[in-house]
Amino acid sequence: MTTPDLLSSIRDTNLAYLILAQQMVRQDRAAAIYRLGISSELADLLDTLSPAQIVRLASNNVLLMRLRLDTTVAGILSDLSKDRTLVQAHASILFATQSAEPAEQCHTTER
Amino acid sequence: MAARSVYDDAQEVLLATELIRLGARLQLLESETALSRERLIKLYKQQRGASPPKGMLPFSTDWFISWQPNIHASVFLTIYQYLVKHAHIGAIQAITKAYVLYLEQLPPLPSAPAVLSLTRAWTLVRFFEHRMLSLQPCEKCHGQFISHAFQPRHKSRCGVCHLPARAGKRKQAPIHIQPDVQAAAETDVSINSGSSW
Repeated sequence: MTTPDLLSSIRDTNLAYLILAQQMVRQDRAAAIYRLGISSELADLLDTLSPAQIVRLASNNVLLMRLRLDTTVAGILSDLSKDRTLVQAHASILFATQSAEPAEQCHTTER
Repeated sequence: MAARSVYDDAQEVLLATELIRLGARLQLLESETALSRERLIKLYKQQRGASPPKGMLPFSTDWFISWQPNIHASVFLTIYQYLVKHAHIGAIQAITKAYVLYLEQLPPLPSAPAVLSLTRAWTLVRFFEHRMLSLQPCEKCHGQFISHAFQPRHKSRCGVCHLPARAGKRKQAPIHIQPDVQAAAETDVSINSGSSW
């Protein structure tokens, strides 16, 4: 993949993600906060974004979303020897235990 | 008694309907909605086509400690906590939302009811809030799992990181003995919809 292709894929992914996230927040705010792993402030912000603002945000050359996996969770989820339902249950416990938005914590410590 | 507005009344009926749909028992409905017992029974009958089951609610905290219930209940309770902490919604809204999300995470088999019923989920939240049960981190995966409150906090592993020897053995039975299991499943259902757990 050439770099321009890569960058345009990143922008496409950003756009698709933002559109989906906004739809989720508008449809069911509480469930979206859980599924996206975001704070209620960010959910409110997503709700108010206009299409033009979404396109502007999505045209970043870096991905706007962050992996929720750390080495522990990734190790557990990719363990093929365990029952699938069990892994699913384990994953949802681990995701719900994580704090919303690791990015937000970085900002508060910087201030 | 203060007169309620039509709007509030409609909200209560909607809430009760949603709770009945998810399988709430009468005690839960009485405690969480402002509707009279008679109206709740009527609603229940109209929606389910049967009288609400009688008898006491399950009151043992030990049920939440055994292997399979512990994992299911921990999934529900961690989602509930997440919603209360981040989505800022009321307790009963958080319980119903978390319960729907729990069913999504661990969908029950079409033949069997969910491991954790809504009424049990509701009692779990009460046990948790009255500090009879607590969430403890597993030393290996750092996930939060339900355990008895005030238990000495020595290093402990959760039921998934440290599988008990006979974990999940029950599931294999249906493959070998089909007819028996079907009969058993039916009696199970009738027990569940009948008196109590």
